[in-house]
Amino acid sequence: MVSQNGKESRPLALQRDSLWYKDAVIYQLHVRTFCDSNADGIGDFAGLTQRLDYLQELGITAVWLLPFYPSPLRDDGYDIADYTSVHATYGSLEDFKTFLTAAHSRGIRIIIEMVLNHTSDQHPWFKEARSSRENPKRDWYVWSQTDTRYQGVPIVFVDTETSNWAWDPISKSYYWHRFFSHQPDLNFDNPAVFEAVWDVMKFWLNLGVDGFRLDAVAYLVEREGTLCENLPETHAIIRELRKRLDLAYPGTMLLAEANQWPADVRAYFGDGDEFHAAFHFPLMPRMFMAVKLEDRKPIIEILEQTPEIPDSCQWFIFLRNHDELTLEMVTDVERDYMYDEYAMDKTMRINRGIRRRLAPMMNNDRRRIELLNGLLMSISGTPTIYYGDEIGMGDNIYLGDRNGVRTPMQWNSASNAGFSLADPERLYAPVISNAVYGYQAVNVDSQKRSEHSLLRWMKSLIQVRNAFQVFSRGTIQFLNPSNHRVLAYMRQFGDETVLVVNNLSSSAQAVELDVQRYKGYIPIEMFGRNLFPRFGNLPYLLTLGPYQFYWFQLRRI
Amino acid sequence: MVEDTFLADDLLRQLMSVGEVDLLVGISSHNAASTISHAVHAIEQSFQQHFVRQRVVIVNVGSGDKSEDGVVATGFGNFVEKNVRLPRITSLRTIHRVTANFSGPPSPGIALRTILAAADLLRARACAVVSPATSNLTPDSIANLLRPVYREKFDFVAPLYTRHKYQGLLARNLLYPMSRAVFGCGIRELYSDEWGFSGRLAALCLNQDVWHEEAIRARPEAWMAISAISSDFRCCEAFLGEKSQAVKGPGTDIVEVLRQTVGTLFWCLETQQSLWLDCERSQPLPTFGPAHELTSEPTDLDRHRIFEMFRSGVTELEPILSSILDPETHSEIKSIVSLEEGKFRFKSDIWVRTLYDFAASYHHAVINRDHILQALTPLYRGMTFSFLVEHSDSSQAEMEAASEMLCVEFELQKPYLRERWKAKVEVKS
Repeated sequence: MVSQNGKESRPLALQRDSLWYKDAVIYQLHVRTFCDSNADGIGDFAGLTQRLDYLQELGITAVWLLPFYPSPLRDDGYDIADYTSVHATYGSLEDFKTFLTAAHSRGIRIIIEMVLNHTSDQHPWFKEARSSRENPKRDWYVWSQTDTRYQGVPIVFVDTETSNWAWDPISKSYYWHRFFSHQPDLNFDNPAVFEAVWDVMKFWLNLGVDGFRLDAVAYLVEREGTLCENLPETHAIIRELRKRLDLAYPGTMLLAEANQWPADVRAYFGDGDEFHAAFHFPLMPRMFMAVKLEDRKPIIEILEQTPEIPDSCQWFIFLRNHDELTLEMVTDVERDYMYDEYAMDKTMRINRGIRRRLAPMMNNDRRRIELLNGLLMSISGTPTIYYGDEIGMGDNIYLGDRNGVRTPMQWNSASNAGFSLADPERLYAPVISNAVYGYQAVNVDSQKRSEHSLLRWMKSLIQVRNAFQVFSRGTIQFLNPSNHRVLAYMRQFGDETVLVVNNLSSSAQAVELDVQRYKGYIPIEMFGRNLFPRFGNLPYLLTLGPYQFYWFQLRRI
Repeated sequence: MVEDTFLADDLLRQLMSVGEVDLLVGISSHNAASTISHAVHAIEQSFQQHFVRQRVVIVNVGSGDKSEDGVVATGFGNFVEKNVRLPRITSLRTIHRVTANFSGPPSPGIALRTILAAADLLRARACAVVSPATSNLTPDSIANLLRPVYREKFDFVAPLYTRHKYQGLLARNLLYPMSRAVFGCGIRELYSDEWGFSGRLAALCLNQDVWHEEAIRARPEAWMAISAISSDFRCCEAFLGEKSQAVKGPGTDIVEVLRQTVGTLFWCLETQQSLWLDCERSQPLPTFGPAHELTSEPTDLDRHRIFEMFRSGVTELEPILSSILDPETHSEIKSIVSLEEGKFRFKSDIWVRTLYDFAASYHHAVINRDHILQALTPLYRGMTFSFLVEHSDSSQAEMEAASEMLCVEFELQKPYLRERWKAKVEVKS
């Protein structure tokens, strides 16, 4: 079965490489959305397990699961009511274990979501804490007799919350919440809280999970006179978690969700003794901007500002995820531009972001979808694919909150898109059924059968990426051709050198690349394996069609 | 085939890299080593403050001589965007910079032709030319030139400046009223270092076979303005504020100034006669910002010297004037030359007829055209003297009223110009 440190759950191959998260291609999904095995209209672990072959075939190497814990589901599961169980609609803990073993047997690692900052107000800890001021768990949360402490701390969900304090009529005092008022923040000044969350993490690690994506890590600790974000005390907590993790569960990893500027996120890597990885939030909107602006400037600018990180650490990058396309890490001018270009209809906007999927944002332009995925897979960082984007799924902006990008996975053209055998009315959310993105037109089965489908193309893209560690571990050096519509960079790792050239524009472009340093090398186009003319003394002239990109392996023969 | 090689390969390579743009600002760094830096900075600021989303390019035409152009100091040709800290207001896109060298002896005409070619090839929607010699060039003033074209679909934007009441007298008393009467649409600053234009107008002007004409090489801006107003392009004026010259150019030599400015105006009359001979209209241009603004700082003008130069000039050039002016006009000029300084006035009707006589004589080339232009100098001095005396205490409104009356006089007498213009043709035929 499962040992104390969970290693037996993983095949030997998965145990060996402690830097696996650097080479990973992540697939993000919510159990609810993927496959329903029991016809109740909601995806579950048994259904997900059935679809693991699909994920293996796609070439992804890790799955990041969104919260699947028991929860009142007032924040898509980020309001956890029980940390050591599975929401009944998704199956049982046994189902999870089966899934985990099946994934590992296919070489797929599992990263689960862990929300440490807060619980649901339905969590037993909070129920006890609010029951009386004398309760032993009272101090597990942050209480106050006034709502004036920590003045000036920003409110995250500005569309719904007016304060970070909420009044508790039971214990007649205020409790602190950085997110929704039904999500009270845990008090990490209390050592018992730390030990409790570590026990939770151990529970899952002992089952064999490979890592945690820690939600809202910037907000763990509160201090008067600060923004209650990124505090030294928060880093101390992370360091202690990491220390224990490395000691007891080597080869597992911590992934930070910190929607901050790279310079601020950098601190969460510490000296390689805090997080193993963190999402690079500001890069994502800039990739969209660069394609719309047809100018590499936004990408170059943000990556130039991205500090170096310890060798053992890695940025995780993504195009879209389960949340809105966040526009927190952009200037006002940039945000307005993104809204005007990608969310003219105000229904597409939520909080400070855009609630749309990749394909609709690209107007279903296959060339642009491919270009962005090509960037995702070739720029430095571990790529994360949001479920359904590999087939170009659409969204439903008329569903509330961010549910429009959380609709059922489209497997085939059968009823409910093959997601569920339940009556359509019973589905947790309607399937996309419009003429362009509907499941009849966009689904896995049809794309498997079509030689030139997006799915097939994505598979080959991932396959090439997985074949060269230079993409996951290599250095990146941007070339500076005078044509700003072209983004070109060299990736290098050991003996592997790759030149990536992207045409960000809608028209054909010519570009001259200064590759003098690589004089004598032969560029080999990595998808067709065709040889291109050898680099010589002159600038290397390339022409690229609209949104076209090249990956060249450079060989000196 | 010479025309095919007007643009150097290096410039073409740079343009290829820039691609299509929304906005283009042209500048010439030739002999502007000390001022180019400020101008380029103002352009960049203008893009960053007013056109953050647009595809933009700065085209600098220089001699390639660092000591003359100061191109190194401005960072021209350096395409690397330096690392900047976010968030801040900045252009979303790269601000492209293109540097071109003169394809012949440096001249404003060649600089403009290069800029127009770049605008045409880059399919620029709105363009402006600015001068590094304008020391108070601001981001706002550049935006004021570009915005009417880019947003309001105008084809030509002429500048308006805050002027001292005695500044710009050549424009006030000659260039503006005459061009307005002749072409039916007046531009107050026909000769300026700054103006805006559309890609459409750029393409039209670029394709004209005029670039080897002396008038165009020296002062191409008036030709471009007149091309716009005489060809039904949408024209307007935009207020740019005060104008300070960092360095005094050749503009201080009135003979040379007249040769260049009036020379180009007469040349335009000549080359575009089919467009104005039958034109009866006279319409004001839309204006963005104040129509005009005057300052009244004291200025030193030696009126007595101006009057003496008028009187001596007319006397010395008597034979030449007799071949240029209509006998009746000539007679009236001779009669006012003899007046004492205190009683002297150059009446507007005589001034208008004088100019029309000069224009017609230029057309008929009764004598060497350069001599015709030089012969105008003393008469212009006489008009200037008369203006200074008449308006020493005038308010802005009074000066504007007088200016408007002069325009009307030019318009009323346009048949006279037409008659004199055609007269010789009839004789010839």
